[in-house]
Amino acid sequence: MSNMNALNRETVITPLCLKLLLLCGFLLVLPHIGNLKPEFIVISLVLLTWRTLTVKFPQYMPNKWLLLPLSILLALFILKSFGMSFGRDASSSLLIVLLALKLLECRRSRDVVASVFVGFFVLITPFLFDQTILLALYSLCIFLLLLLTLLINTTGQVTLQGFTLFRLTATIFLQAIPLMLIGFLLFPRMIGPLWALPDNTSNAVSGISDTINPGQISNLALSSATAFRVTFEGEPPEQKDLYWRGAVFYETDGIKWQYKANYKVAEKLTDSAKPTEYKYTVIMEPHHQRWLYSLDLPSHKVANSKLSEDSQLMLSKKLGRTLSYTLTSNNASNKNLTDTLKKRALNLPKNTSDNILELAGNFRKNSSNDLEIVNKALQHFNQQDFFYTLNPPLLGKNPNDEFLFKTKQGFCSHYASAFTVLMRAANIPARIIAGYQGGVHNTLGSFWEIRQADAHVWVEVWLENSGWTRVDPTAAIAPERISNSINLAEQLRAGEVNFNINRPDGFMAFAQQAKWLLNTIDYYWQSGVLAYGPENQAEFLNKAGIKGWEDMVKWLTIFSVSFLVLLIIYLNFSKKTKPDKAQQILLAFCKRLSKKYGERRSYETVSDYFERVKKQNAQLTTSLNAINKSYLDCRYGREDIEPFKTNVKAFK
Amino acid sequence: MPLSFTQRFSFRRFTQGEAATANAVNLDHRRIFILPSRSGLVLAMVILLMLIASINYNNSMGFIFTFLLAAAAQVSSFYGFKNLSGLTVQATKSEPCFLGDQAHYNLRIKEQEGRERWAIYIKLGDKVEIIQNLKANQVVNLSMTVKPNKRGWFCAGTFTFFSYFPLSLFRAWSPLQFDQKLLVYPTPSANGLPLPIISIDKAEGSSISLQQGSDDFDGFRLYQQGDPYQRINWKAFAAGKGVFIKQFTSPLADEVSLNWSSCHANNTEQKLSQLCEWVLKAQQDGLSYSLKIPSNSYDANQGIQHQLRCLRALALYE
Repeated sequence: MSNMNALNRETVITPLCLKLLLLCGFLLVLPHIGNLKPEFIVISLVLLTWRTLTVKFPQYMPNKWLLLPLSILLALFILKSFGMSFGRDASSSLLIVLLALKLLECRRSRDVVASVFVGFFVLITPFLFDQTILLALYSLCIFLLLLLTLLINTTGQVTLQGFTLFRLTATIFLQAIPLMLIGFLLFPRMIGPLWALPDNTSNAVSGISDTINPGQISNLALSSATAFRVTFEGEPPEQKDLYWRGAVFYETDGIKWQYKANYKVAEKLTDSAKPTEYKYTVIMEPHHQRWLYSLDLPSHKVANSKLSEDSQLMLSKKLGRTLSYTLTSNNASNKNLTDTLKKRALNLPKNTSDNILELAGNFRKNSSNDLEIVNKALQHFNQQDFFYTLNPPLLGKNPNDEFLFKTKQGFCSHYASAFTVLMRAANIPARIIAGYQGGVHNTLGSFWEIRQADAHVWVEVWLENSGWTRVDPTAAIAPERISNSINLAEQLRAGEVNFNINRPDGFMAFAQQAKWLLNTIDYYWQSGVLAYGPENQAEFLNKAGIKGWEDMVKWLTIFSVSFLVLLIIYLNFSKKTKPDKAQQILLAFCKRLSKKYGERRSYETVSDYFERVKKQNAQLTTSLNAINKSYLDCRYGREDIEPFKTNVKAFK
Repeated sequence: MPLSFTQRFSFRRFTQGEAATANAVNLDHRRIFILPSRSGLVLAMVILLMLIASINYNNSMGFIFTFLLAAAAQVSSFYGFKNLSGLTVQATKSEPCFLGDQAHYNLRIKEQEGRERWAIYIKLGDKVEIIQNLKANQVVNLSMTVKPNKRGWFCAGTFTFFSYFPLSLFRAWSPLQFDQKLLVYPTPSANGLPLPIISIDKAEGSSISLQQGSDDFDGFRLYQQGDPYQRINWKAFAAGKGVFIKQFTSPLADEVSLNWSSCHANNTEQKLSQLCEWVLKAQQDGLSYSLKIPSNSYDANQGIQHQLRCLRALALYE
């Protein structure tokens, strides 16, 4: 047994196979450029280049006394770089180095199989970083190339001539697709990771973070990355009302605002009658935070989340994958103000200056109720020479005071921060909301795309009549920010705020259409494929009446087994070659003879059989000879089948 | 021929194949078995790891490629089966051999479903032959070398046809046994004892003397199969006159009497070995010889047919 396996496995690798394998190796490392630390990319590429050179100069092939220390050294290096936290980055780095090392020692047929297996594993690692369509198509090509390599290795072919093996690779791939879909749709998805994912947050995540620092410039305004996408069922709200609430901030030290997760669920959030409702689906990109985004007041929680007393949807773990959820929001106000919340919402930072207290005192003195104070403060922003800009002067130790009374230049977080402190100084509970405002409506795909550049910060104040009320001080100073989407291209060019006030025309309109088309494809990719997680699966399969994982396993088995049975039937019965016409007639004729003279034996040729028949009945000699001759003629000589037919017919 | 219930589930069928047959065997679903190879099991582990990674990161693309790989592996098993299915194998005539020599067992392998086949291995004992590529409707005659370990009828045992096609993940195999047996003659003795030649004086008819075959040239006759090459008249052959044999006669008619009892050897096998050697030598020298062993006796004669009869008797002596 072992001897025989040895024969197949110990065969020396063919040059063709090696070249294909090296090509796969390079193609597998490339998508990791930018994802992994450059040293590991460089190590893998150097090792692969080394192996490529040995194709021409076999004397430079490393022996095991060189390879073994090299492998140990590289393993130690990886261990030193990542420590014991073995997550996405560490395993990907290890795998590409392992692949390159395996290729470096690849001499035999057996090594090819092992290398291809490592290759299959490496193939899925770039998806842990990014899951675009382009990457998927690219990986598919490598997948086929790996299959082809395996096939060529098994058959021991030395040239690529003929397309039989290409065709077989493609056939196997095409026939695997239905089975893959069955697995993809029905394999029960689990919620949450099996173990902690240590380095998911290692590369800086762009998006709203859990601190707001008005003193520092937000780089989000220049990011075209998508935060999430939304489709509305029915009429969407107006652009100016699209406030996507995210994190709710109470705590500040006078310089920056710090987020504190609140999982407390309110007994009763609202007491008003059913107001206007919006139903929509959000396809959220992984943002590695615990909160989800929603409009105004979500009327119910989505799977695996809690609706907190701040009317915030809270996940139990940070979101590390694409998530899709459907929500109904209404514009009722949140009437929930506990004592704890009130205390938190009124807490003034220690560095609140006298100027601020005096200004707030003035507002309070000249107003009869809280709403008037709010309006006075907004008027203050509007009438004083405040200026909305993405490049405000840097602020020092007391940013709120400096902004309000000195620089008077800033963007949303400056206004929101100063406004909140001002309200608290006037004894009105206030909190900061970080989220997104607006978005771009893609008319082609009929969905809203909310980009990082749409990040926005605003304020909610507690008013006796209306509960928590949204106040956007930015709208007071730059109303165009709220009622128009941001013109990111222009903003990027100028480094300053720019809004789409005029409809684009000419080439710009065409460019926008093209961009929308790409975004639409991406949208369907995101919502259809990438967002297919535990929640979407449960929802999708529920429609088909499949509930719970036992049901999924049952149907997974039923579908895949039926498909395999169908495939077996198709493969074995569809292409069975039929004997040609002459052979059919001959077989029928032999059957006729067999009734009288015994069956034709499997080792007998037609002539042999006829001889045997002739011995039993000499009268048949002439006619059988004629039949035999005409049969041999039409099969192996001229193509004319007619004489044979006539002879058989004439036989009595 | 349909199988009985016990036959169908006997373990022998999977390792050694069905009962031996003289006919051509068609490889079909009854004769082909398929199981994951060692590489296939390793791939199963890799797929499991990929699945765990995909679950852990809840990564849709990870799931897609993991399932795609698993599905492709599964689908490939059908092509592994199809690579063997529809071949017909028949044992063809194999030449007898001497014990200790390598024999050739001949197989005729025919592709008859009009499909190309790849990398088919044929194993007999510890010998493995490979057919790298078999074109549609191609016929291949394959000669498997075997080294028989005893004289008499030798049964080659089980031929295992197997293939790792297409992806090395599954091993499809088909064990076959054939009725065709190989005749193994005893090993010709190498001790170089002279032929026991009995000279019969024709005139007197009874005086017997042992002689070392001193021959006189007597003329030519036409070549017959089995004549020794040393006696071919090469000059005449080169001149295109045909193949002639130089004939020699002793003044005394030579006859070799190979007799079981007159053969001095320690045991049966050595005796057979000695007799075998003498049969060959006598044939080579163009002498007429008789063979007498306890089970058979052949009168003095010459020619290839006589030799084969004698050798066969020696091979099959019990």
